[in-house]
Parts: sequence; C-alpha cells; structure tokens
Amino acid sequence: MNLKNIFQKLFTYEPPVEYNFSLPEGTQNTESNDNQAVDSVSDTEETINIFPSLNVNLEYMKTKYNLLINSDVILRQFTINARGKQYNAFLVYIDGMVDSEIMDKFVLEPLMLRNKSNLYEGTQSKVISEAVANNITVRKVKKFDLSNYLMGCLMPQNAVKEATDFDTVANGINSGNCALFVDTLSLAFDIEVKGFKQRSVNSPNNEIVIKGPHEAFVENIRTNTSLIRRIVNNENLVIENLEVGKITKTKCAICYMKNITNSDLVNEVKYRLNNLEIDSLLSAGELEQLLVESNALGIPEMISTERPDKTAKYLLKGRVIVIVNGTPYGIIMPAILIDFLTSPEDSNLKVNFANFLRMLRFLAAFITLLLPGLYVAITSFHQEILPTGLLYSILSSRENVPFPIIVEILLMEISFELIREAGLRVPSAIGPTIGIVGALVLGQAAVSAGIVSPILIIIVAMTGIASFAIPDFSFGFHLRYFRFAFVLLGFMAGFLGIALGLFVYISFVCSLRSFGVSYTTPFAPTTESKGNGYLLNPIWKREYRPSYIASKKEKNQAKISMKWKYHKKP
Amino acid sequence: MTKSKLGTIEAIMLVLIIVVTHTISSLPREILVLTKSATIINLIFVSILAILFSYLIVRLMKNFAGSDIIDISEYLGGKVFKNIIGIIFILYFLISSSILLRNFCESIKIIYYPMTNILFILSLFVIAICCVNRLDFNASLKTNLLILPLVLASIIFLFFANMNKFVPQRMFPIFGDGLFNTFVIGLTNLSAFGGIAFLYFLPPYLKQPEKMKKIALISIGISAIYLMLCVATLLFMFSFFINTNEITPLYNATRYIEFGSFFQRLESIFLLIWILAFCCYLSITSKFAMSIFKKLTNIETKKPLIDIFGLLILAITLVPKNYAISDKFETEIYPYLVLGICFGLGISILILANIMKRKQKKIQANSQTIS
Amino acid sequence: MNKIIRNLFIFLLIVFFIIAFSSSYLSLSMDNLAYVLVIGIDKGEDNNLEVSFQFSTTTKSTESGSTEKTPTVMDSVSAPSLSTAINLMDSYMGKELNLSHCKVIIFSEELAQEGISEEIYTLINDTQIRPSANIVVSKCKAKFYMEQTSPELENLISKYYEIFTNSSKYTGFKPNATIGDFFNAIICKTCEPYAILGGISTEKPQNQGNSQIQQNYDVKSNQTPIEGENGSENIGIAAFKDDKLVGELCAIETSTFLALRNQVDRFLVSVPDPNDVKSYIDIYVTPKGNTKVDIDTSTTSPYIKVKAQFDGRIYSMSSNSQYLDPTILNDISETCNKYLEAVFTDYLYKTSKDLKSDINGLGKYALGNFFTTQDFDNYNWTNNYQNAFFEVQIDTSIKSSMLITET
Repeated sequence: MNLKNIFQKLFTYEPPVEYNFSLPEGTQNTESNDNQAVDSVSDTEETINIFPSLNVNLEYMKTKYNLLINSDVILRQFTINARGKQYNAFLVYIDGMVDSEIMDKFVLEPLMLRNKSNLYEGTQSKVISEAVANNITVRKVKKFDLSNYLMGCLMPQNAVKEATDFDTVANGINSGNCALFVDTLSLAFDIEVKGFKQRSVNSPNNEIVIKGPHEAFVENIRTNTSLIRRIVNNENLVIENLEVGKITKTKCAICYMKNITNSDLVNEVKYRLNNLEIDSLLSAGELEQLLVESNALGIPEMISTERPDKTAKYLLKGRVIVIVNGTPYGIIMPAILIDFLTSPEDSNLKVNFANFLRMLRFLAAFITLLLPGLYVAITSFHQEILPTGLLYSILSSRENVPFPIIVEILLMEISFELIREAGLRVPSAIGPTIGIVGALVLGQAAVSAGIVSPILIIIVAMTGIASFAIPDFSFGFHLRYFRFAFVLLGFMAGFLGIALGLFVYISFVCSLRSFGVSYTTPFAPTTESKGNGYLLNPIWKREYRPSYIASKKEKNQAKISMKWKYHKKP
Repeated sequence: MTKSKLGTIEAIMLVLIIVVTHTISSLPREILVLTKSATIINLIFVSILAILFSYLIVRLMKNFAGSDIIDISEYLGGKVFKNIIGIIFILYFLISSSILLRNFCESIKIIYYPMTNILFILSLFVIAICCVNRLDFNASLKTNLLILPLVLASIIFLFFANMNKFVPQRMFPIFGDGLFNTFVIGLTNLSAFGGIAFLYFLPPYLKQPEKMKKIALISIGISAIYLMLCVATLLFMFSFFINTNEITPLYNATRYIEFGSFFQRLESIFLLIWILAFCCYLSITSKFAMSIFKKLTNIETKKPLIDIFGLLILAITLVPKNYAISDKFETEIYPYLVLGICFGLGISILILANIMKRKQKKIQANSQTIS
Repeated sequence: MNKIIRNLFIFLLIVFFIIAFSSSYLSLSMDNLAYVLVIGIDKGEDNNLEVSFQFSTTTKSTESGSTEKTPTVMDSVSAPSLSTAINLMDSYMGKELNLSHCKVIIFSEELAQEGISEEIYTLINDTQIRPSANIVVSKCKAKFYMEQTSPELENLISKYYEIFTNSSKYTGFKPNATIGDFFNAIICKTCEPYAILGGISTEKPQNQGNSQIQQNYDVKSNQTPIEGENGSENIGIAAFKDDKLVGELCAIETSTFLALRNQVDRFLVSVPDPNDVKSYIDIYVTPKGNTKVDIDTSTTSPYIKVKAQFDGRIYSMSSNSQYLDPTILNDISETCNKYLEAVFTDYLYKTSKDLKSDINGLGKYALGNFFTTQDFDNYNWTNNYQNAFFEVQIDTSIKSSMLITET
C-alpha cells in the first residue's frame, strides 16, 4: 500500500453506491469476488426432471439423500393396487418430520389395501361423450390416467401436489412432506404429512405488556401466519411465500393488506427478498441485516417483534411483515425512529398516560446516549454549570478515587455491560446470582474500596436503567454502543466534542431511509398529515394512517368514530 | 443520486441558518456598535428593506422558473460569465463560512480550551463537516430542520430569562448617533440578512417552486424577528456593547441567566446548541459551494470534492494570523461582501437578465409579426 | 489492507486529538482545580494588593449520611495585581485556582476609595467568573471580614453566600449587588455602581444603639445592634462614583434605593403614630407597580419628579388603637406618605449633593428626552446630577393590618 493508492482512494471518483428505492439500479454493485462460491454451488444444481422408470428414480433419490449413511431419511417401497393392476412405488420421507399416523392411515392404507375403488377392474376406457355424425361414432374417450386416478381416488389428503422435477420433490421432503414415486409415471406426488414436534404458542418473553394479549410467535411459519390471520380476520390480508437461501431454502412469508399497503412498498420488499444471493438464511435477525440499505450506525431499520398483535397493528397501518420460518419473530418494515420508542402497550392505555410513557422513553433514549458523556464533559471542562453544592459533593465523593474520571466511567460502564451479558448467557438458575454479585460487588464494594465514586455509580445505573426502558432491544443496544463514543468525545473536547459528535450522529440518522421512508419522519422532513406524530392523539381522533407509509387508504376510521355518542335517536 | 427536493419549511430553515450563525458570532455587536441605541429602529427599517429586496429577487427570478443564479448568468453572459459568477459565489460561501468558523473557534478557545492550539479545534469541525458531507444534501437539510428550532428556542429562552435585567430605556436616545447614521450608514446592517444568498440557489431544489415568494418573505421575516430578539436582549441588558468590543455577545448574555441559586451559568448548554447550529451552517454552505462547483464542471458526483473542500475550508481558516485579523474581516469586510454579492451582484444580474429576456421577447414578437 | 490502514488512520486520529486536547483537559479537570469561593482584596503595603482566597475543603460524608460542618481554608498573598496574585496562589496551592464558583468578591473600604476598576476589569474578563457574584465593600479589612464570616446555619460557606442577599427582597437592607451589574454601571453613562456594605458586628462603637436610631433603621454595617456567632454583617450600600467609593447608605436609605429601582418586594418602615407622637407604628410597605420617574432636562439642573405608590399593612401598633377605623387608617396613610416623602427626598438629595453619584440609575429616564447620543453626551448627565432638584410624591394606601387582635 503506497501513498499513491491512498491518495487515489481519497480523491478519485468512485461510482455512487447509494441505493435508491424508486430507481433500483443497485444490481451492478453486487458483483464481487465473494459470490463466486455461491455461484459454483448453484451451477451444479440443475433441475432434473423425474424419470419414468421407477428404478432410475429410486437410485437417484438414494444418491441424492445419501441413503446409505443418512439415518433419518426413509425410503419405503411398496405396491399400489389400482384398478386391479399393480404398480411399484416408493415413498420417501424424513423420519421425525412426518406424522406417522397420517402416513399410515391416509397414505399407505388407501394405496396398498384393496378398497372399493381399487376393486374396479375396467381396463376399457371411460366414455365421456358420444356423438354420431355421418354414421361415424365419435367417442370422446378419457383414457385411463394413473396419475389422475391416484390423485382423484387414492389419496384422501388435503394437500397433494404433483411435481415433475426432483428439486420440488426434495423441497417437499425437506420440509416434512413425503414424496410418492410410482412406476411409469414421470412425476412424483408431494403429499403433506407434516407432523414434527414444535413449540406451542406461548406468552411472549421479551415484549411484555400488562394490558394486551399474551401470545407470541413460534418457530413455525404456518402457526405464525395463522396467528396474524386470526387477528386481522380479513380476506385482504395476503400472505405470499418466498424461499430464501440456496441451500436452506428458508420459507419466508410476506404479509400485507392488499387494499391498504402501498404496492410499491410490497414490490420493493419482494424485490429485495428475491435478490438475495445467499446460501442459508437461519433467522429473522440475519434477514434484517440483509435488507437494510445502509448500516452505518447499526440503527435497526426494521422492527422485529414476537407479538402477533403488534404485527397486526402495523399491518393494518399499511406496513409489510416478513416472517421467517424457524424464528419466532416477525419483521415489520419499514420502521422509523419513533417506532422504536413505542410499545404495543401504548394504544391500550389512556392517551395521557401513553404519551407520558412516550416522553419518558424519549428521555430514556437521551439519557442512555448522552448522560455518561455529559458527565465526563462537565466534570472535565464545564464545572461552572454545576451548582456549588453539587460540585462539592462530587468532589468529596471523588476524594479517595485514584483514577481519572474517564477511567472510572469506562471501568464501570464496561463492567455494567459485562454483568448484562453474563446475566443473559448464564443458565437461568444462576441468573439472579449474577445480578446480586454485580450489584453488590461492583456497586457497594467498589465504592467502599474507593475505586469509583458513588455519584458515578448513580450515573452508570441511571444509564443502565434508561437503556432498559427502551422497548426495542436492538435500538437500546445501538444507543448503549454509541454512548461510549460520546464518552470519548466528551473526554476529548467537552461539550464541543459532544456537540460535533451529536451533529454527525443526527446527520447520519437523518440520512437513513428505511424502504424509502425517511428515518426521522415526521420531524424531518415535516409532514402535515394528522396521522403522524410521536405523541398519540385520543383514540377517537386517530383518523388517519401515517402519511409516510403512503398507504392506499388514508383514513383509519370515520370522522366521528364514537357514533353512539353523537347519534341522534329518532 | 436523485435531486433531493426540499419542502417549504426546510427551505425557510435553510435561509435562517445563515442569520442564526452570524448572530451567534459577532453580528449583534456589529449592529449595535454601528447604530447604538437606535438599533431597534434601524433594524425595523433594514428588515423592511430586506423584505422588499427579497420580494424583488423572487419577482425577478419568476421569469426564470426552476433555474438558479448560475443558470441565469449563463443565459445572460454565456459560459465565461457563468463561470465567473459561480466562482465568486463559491469563494463567497467558502470564505465567509471559514472566517466565521475561525472567529467562532477563537471564542471557543478563549472560553473553554485555553491551552489547545486553534488548529485542533478547527480541524475537529472540519472533520465533522467532511463526515457529514458524504451524506446527501437532504440529510443536511433534515439535520438543519431538527437543530434550528432548538437554536431559535434557545434565543427566545435567552430573551425571556434575562427579561428581569432589562432596562428598556436603553433604546433611548431614539436616534442614536443621528438620523444620517441610523438610516444611511446603518444600511450596512442589511448585511445581517446574508441568508438571501441562498435564495438565489433555491429554485431548482424546491418541491413546490410556486411557494418561493412565501419562503422568501417568511424566512426574512423570521430572521428579522430573530435579530430583533438578539439585539434587544443585548441592548437592554448591557450598557457596554455600545462602547466596548466583546467577543460572542450572545454568549455573554447567557452567562447572566439564573434561576435561583441552582440554575446558574447555563452558557455551556447554549454553546452546545450553537455548535450544532454552526456545524449545520458549515455543512450547508460547503454543500452549496460544492454543488455550484459541480454545476460548473459537470462532474458526476460531489464525492471527490468533499475532502478537498474540507481542506480548503481549513486552509482558509488558518489564513488570518490572529483573532484580530479574522475579526476585522468579519466586522469590516464581510458586511460589504454581503452587500456587494448578495444584494448588488445578484440583483443586478437578475435585472439585466430580465431586461434581456424582455428584449428577446420583443424581438421574437417582432419577427413573428414580420413573418 | 486498505481497510486496516483506514482504521489505523482513524485510531491514530482519535489518539492524536485526545492528546491535542489533553492540555486543556489537564488544566480544566475537576481533580486539578481549586475552587475559590470568596476573594477578598485589600490594600497591601507598597501599593501592592493583598488578596485573600477562601476555599472549602470537601465534605467527608460519613456512612450514616450526616455531614459535619466543612472547614474553610483561607490563604492570602500580596501581589501587585490580581492576576499575579492568582498566579502566585496557583503555585502555592499546587492546584490551579478556578473562579467559576466564586460567590463573593470583597473589597476593603480603603481600596474601594482609591478605585477598583482595574480589579473589576480583570475579574469580568475572566471567563470563569460568574456575573452573579456579589460585591461587598467591607468597612474593615477584607481578610478580616472573611475570617469573621462563619455562617450559622449552613454547612458549606458557599451556600451561605448564595443566599445571603435573598433577604433584601423583604427587608430592603442590602442590595443584591453583583459584579455584572457593577461592571455594567461603571461603563454606563446613566448610572453609577454600588456594592453591598459589609462590616464586623463585634467592632461596633458603643452607645450607638439607642432606640431612636433603631426605630428609623438608621443603621448600617459595623453599627448594627446584632450579636451572634457570625461575625460579619451586611447592611447598607456602598455608593461609588465611577470606580471610587464615595459614601455609604444606611438601611432605610437602602430600602429607598431598592424601591426606586423596583427591586424590593416589601420593606418595613416605622412611622410616627399620628395620635401619639412618641410611639411608632411599623408598616410593611409593598410597592404597587413601578416607580415613575419624570425628568425635565431643559436646564443644567435636572428637575426630577419621582412618583411612587405603595400598599401598606400595619405590622404593629401601640396599644388601644383601632386599626379597623377608616379615618385612623387614612391618618396613618398620610403620615406614612409624609414620612416616606421625607425619607425619599432626603435620600435623593444625599445622592446628588453629598455623593454626587447617580447610583439609582435615574439617568436612564432622562435618555428619552434626547434624540441622539451626541445630545445626551453634551448634556453631561453625570455632572449635572449634582444640581438636580427632586420632587417626591408618595401615595400609600394602608390596606388594613396584619394584626389579628386589637391591642
């Protein structure tokens, strides 16, 4: 690396990497060396159609699923009785993912046992219609079609699909279906017999509300979509399925209200999801990071929630929800700054209390981000702002402390983060111990040992508590992370450093856009619609949906929502 | 990069930021020194003039919808003239903001960082500006929109918190140094409305260009009220601004705020807010300068310019040897720069262009009737 | 590789800036500063200043939370100027002196008579000093005054100095004279500076405390009949002309001063009883609206009309008086008016004839009579003030009394 390169890097022209919602031109930028590995994987996988010969299919499936060494994939060979004829067939499924009772009763039994329809022995074709013209009888004959026959008569199953290529079949098998291959047929049946163990719907762990439903998403995507559908209860709710990830083919559901959500927004979400060149997608958290436009500050640009009611609320406001199979979280997009300071509780409360809480959270965000930095700045540079009494109590509390304030505060903030992290990771039985040890040892003992001053403990504790008052975990994390930057800036140049840092921070936040929505709406740019705003209106006044979502239906409710009150009796 | 369009309120804030930053520095003192106790009357007079001027500008620009002064000067005098005007405005933006930055940093240094070399304070600002200039124009505007109300609120707070110390009689003798001084020499105070410079560049950016008139009038009106508040605070509170030179006069006024014995010396909080405003101003002016440069040279993006312009600003700030020189620039040269460039040059270009357009129309009409 | 260099560059930049600012940090960090609470400036030998600084040691808070009275530390140094004194003290203390929490600045009478503008300029130019720091001119040596001051109720001496002028709002016995106002007044052409008059209660001349004087509140620092733990007392005003001490005002004059400046909420006057000349009635006087001042500047002797309105409430009465009787109240009002008019006129003539100093800032009312600054300068207000004539018009309405029972 020579100087010339650095200069070139600094001053030469680089193609713009900004991504714009309305003009999707970002496709060029994805070219890089990194996705060669992905390409090589994808190249080998060509779609292979199912062969007519059962044996070939059998061999193919055996090699595809590594049957010799794979223990849980089961290949069951048997004979189908159909119209008195016998066909060889086999089933492939994964043990543990299928319900064996369904398997036995509704797949194997009708296929193998002789029943009424099996007994029918007409080799002749079925005449559908007959017409005589010019003495020639024209018969429209329906030839015996085994696949139709099987589908129509022998599989008392609600979800059976015909598949012609191995990929589709494999997808089905992987997700818990079983595949039926029949001799002479160049297709396979994808029969849904899913029956794996899964967590039942529980109460939410991380987003607890007092007044509100106690249901949370689970890992299964279908359960989750059903939870949403139960709340929304409207046919306009569209749940589209997509698969993301070359290897895992993780199912993602895109949910939106057809008559409310802006179609451009839906298309954009679909576009982004469809254009992910990745091998695997394991969780909603990964997807979140894959969908954001820029990640300069690490601010979450989508809400992830485990609450179906919150999801439904945003859905009805005109946002798009993406649910990833295997994660008990739904991602709400787009999301803006104020969404992270609102709790699902808010709309359940009386409006003045809800607004009080919202102001409190705003304060909490401010404290989390800036309080330690301000403390350092004030004690290092701007003592005149302190009242003399307070100054003397800080001075006297610091009398025995050997460290400078910056060391003191970093020490305590880092140990606070350590306690928090340890408390999360430790087995739940030991969890409370960590809290006690942390609070006692680091709080009380550190003070009496003269390592830190009591006032500093108050500052750190305030910051910690404030950070937990922020409803969104990842947003709180972001603030906690950046408070270290402000501590450093405050140490470096006092209020000057903090002001400059704040300016850069605000600018970056202002430059963010989540799916084309400016992150700082409705404050900047100002919007005049009544539906925006951080503070809530009384519930009868919430007539409009937020205008920045650009929903198809602007109004939420009638001008007079409480009709009973103003309805004149005849 | 799409052209970022800005709404009415954003545009108003944009014009305001120039006035705001200059008042934070030494503008009120200059005004006070010039017109003494007649400042209030002088300001009312000057504000009316400024509003008239801005109205005139809007009227004249109406004929050239959607084009800024650079386009108009190209229409008037071709490529060379366009380049000259562009360079004048770039230099105007760069020099005025850098010198203002220098002055502001000098006072910050005196107040808080007596031991630190001014270079470091300056470069901290420049680094912040360079970081922010990488973002698009809209981000700066939104930041401005968030920060400016804070600054305005701080000034209003300053006014009301100090109200008990006011001696309204200080606005007498009502004509200060005499009528001539108040209304003729006092015209220099028109330079307080330096925000008019942005009006020349606004039209291509506006979401609703038809609201240009509203933007101009409201922004100049608010600046006038704002200036009035600042100057009134200083005039009524202190007897000494008329006679002595003080750095950052508004800062001085903040020191006097007290609520009981607990809330005293809140000046550093004011300074915090003002630094934010200052950064906004710097980033916006440098972005304007860059976009003019971009327009002149037709380069694709501003990206390569960012660091160069940052360094340029830093270099210009370091030119004055000491505070005395930079202060002299701000108090003695800057007002005439504003008057010359914003009022003189800009309006004369507009007038000439309008005359030319009218002539062309006549010629066209004539040729049409002939044919 | 590129990224590593970038990160390294950013890291170095941060370190570089921390180092660059560390010099300011070191000089401004809380641990490296000594906070001066009180500055006392005396005239020393050989034209030197003797500057005393008072600090407070930090409170040692005990486990139970109770704090003991914090001892104060006082050091003084003799130096040609204030800045040199601070500099010398820096090296003596081993910590840099910080004036940002300085509450009071005390000048000795001796020094104040010679002019203190230089010290005031030095202090006001220091960004650390609070404009709200009070200025006291002590009758004795400033150092002695500081030594004697030991607040009885507060632990921290700064707390005492923060609130010790608060009583002026309801007694009117001392002005809240701050350095900011002082500086403002030195430069101002229409007013003159003033300061709190401080003294030592133990030093009082004997046989002064007779009842007549007491009834008229004709007391000032060094002459009060107060005895207590706290050795210092602050009653009255030290009046300046430009930057030189020219005279002192006693308690009732201070009340008048504050009433003229609309800075007092209420104050107590003792008015002779209209029915009984020997006895006095205590009346709590509350200003009603601002005092109106009208100045005629057509001649070189300004004619100043002062019009003030007061509400009065009887605070104490001699026995057998009927405070519910409207005629009696009227009588009292009139006597009160006469009394106050006399007090005001005496006071105003004292400022113009004896002190020749417009500490009331009456000049500002004259400003409106002129069109240009030049005219006003030509009039030479500060000099003409000594020729001023006064007409005082007081309108007191005794509302009722604060008494519950008739005595």
